[in-house]
Amino acid sequence: MWIGGKALYLMLIYTVLLGIYAYLFASNSELNLLPQREVVLEIVKVSIAVGLFVCLAIAADSFSGERERATLESLLLTPTSRRQIALGKFLAALSPWPVAPLIAIPYWLILAKGDPVLGPTALWGVVLGTLLAPAFTGMGMLVSVWCNSNKTSMLVSLGLFLLLVLPAGFGPTERAAELQLRSDFIQWLNPMAATARFLQATAVTRTPGNDLYTWMTTPALFPIVVLVLLFASVGPGLRLDAGASRMWTTPT
Amino acid sequence: MQHGKADVQPMTSGGDAIASGSRTDVLVAEGLQKSYGPRQALRGLSFTLKAGRLLGFLGPNGAGKTTSIRILTTIIEPDAGHFTVDGIRHEHPDQIRRRIGVLPESFGLPKQMTGIEYLTYFGQLYGRTASDARSVGLELLEEVGLKDRAKSLVGTYSHGMRQRIGIARALVNDPVVVFLDEPTIGLDPRGQQELLGLVKQIAQERSAGVILCSHLLTEVESVCDDVVILSSGEVVATGTVSDVIGRTEQNVVRIRVPEAAIEESQRVLEATPAVRKVRAGVGMPGWLRVELDDAAAEDEHVNNRLLEALLRAEIPVLSLEPEGGRLQDVFLQLTAGGIR
Repeated sequence: MWIGGKALYLMLIYTVLLGIYAYLFASNSELNLLPQREVVLEIVKVSIAVGLFVCLAIAADSFSGERERATLESLLLTPTSRRQIALGKFLAALSPWPVAPLIAIPYWLILAKGDPVLGPTALWGVVLGTLLAPAFTGMGMLVSVWCNSNKTSMLVSLGLFLLLVLPAGFGPTERAAELQLRSDFIQWLNPMAATARFLQATAVTRTPGNDLYTWMTTPALFPIVVLVLLFASVGPGLRLDAGASRMWTTPT
Repeated sequence: MQHGKADVQPMTSGGDAIASGSRTDVLVAEGLQKSYGPRQALRGLSFTLKAGRLLGFLGPNGAGKTTSIRILTTIIEPDAGHFTVDGIRHEHPDQIRRRIGVLPESFGLPKQMTGIEYLTYFGQLYGRTASDARSVGLELLEEVGLKDRAKSLVGTYSHGMRQRIGIARALVNDPVVVFLDEPTIGLDPRGQQELLGLVKQIAQERSAGVILCSHLLTEVESVCDDVVILSSGEVVATGTVSDVIGRTEQNVVRIRVPEAAIEESQRVLEATPAVRKVRAGVGMPGWLRVELDDAAAEDEHVNNRLLEALLRAEIPVLSLEPEGGRLQDVFLQLTAGGIR
């Protein structure tokens, strides 16, 4: 996966995307007017989101890709249990995550321009990203278990990713208290939105850490839920032909 | 290689010598059934496979061959019935997988791996250490004739080479039962012959039971010791190849004459004693199907009389062959209707 494989290509794309993003922030005159801490916040958020997407994309190929390449049957015929197979693929799909922050650090340093907000923002970003990486990896694998085609698996995974990431772009708004509460609750439910709010509070508003633990709840619980679902379903769910509707289909 | 515990201890290892005159039952299936919704794909499959024997698994499309193979290789579970592999019951699929090797009908290979890397990887999945898996992999590559291509990428292999490495992978755990699903598909005649020779060698030298699924009846007839014929999910014939061939009707002869002489040939033959009925072959221009009396079936000169009658009428005889003397005839007869 790393030697001439998909992880290497995706990390190269990750590097290029971060480079483009950093260049835009550094060179665009309007973006240059943003306060430094917001620039740092944005680059850290993007680094995390794209890093998570890399894990999700690799995971989405884990079983549906094997089905398409007709290599799954050979794997299922070995004495290795379904859960062991899933664990191996999970760890492989998760392996790009530690590399992503390492690649992002130079971009963070350049855009931070020495602002001390980088330290806590980057630290919390890595911590929360490390909590979410297993969740996104597990999510991609769950989709892959139930898809026969890699294209479907990738599209569904991309859809789930956008569903989680896009609302995270909507920060706190100045609205009536009731609407604010509802908006906060919806964002709290979304692990990516909760992460974004946590980082924003750390970097921009400099809210003390004790007041922010509520926003860490979903990023902490989400991976547990996803991984429990994954390893509970992979035993009975991992079949040569995917999906519940295929249980009654005559094999070709 | 490590093995987990099972309720029944394995009776053989793949390399054990078989005592003269006795062969161990390496696979016993009884009453296997499987349905997909309202459709019953398999209705009571029962057979026994002995060590060192080659069993041909035949049947038309939709007969239940793939379902049977997938049940026996623990990919899917039967709805009813049971089977054992090397004494291990089917309730222990992980133990059974350690004892079997499988070459599926359509299988993919990771293009970026070399042949030896591929076999080493699978050897490790079966519990071997890396070095042990590698040395076994090299031996297997030599056995299947791919020693010189061990370090080549699998993506550069020809179709025949891919089948060979697939067979090598099926042997990586020294199995007691090997399942080969259409191993010669897509190969040229020489490739088919070489592969079948290799399959026969596997059964003999490794004392492994081999199940060969194939649509090529000539290849099953030439290499298999036993045969199971499935039709609509049921076993319609089982036994040694010669036994099964012998069960079909013996009193039918096929004669080929020029198409222009079909009608006259039919008249001549119908007038010949011992001939019960003559029909032109359906979809086979120039062929006549001659049914003989039961008594004539025992007469070894009856073919001479048929030839004599045609030659006297100055009708050229292009071919004469008894029907039922080939596995193909048995197959067509049994899968269209019942046996006699």
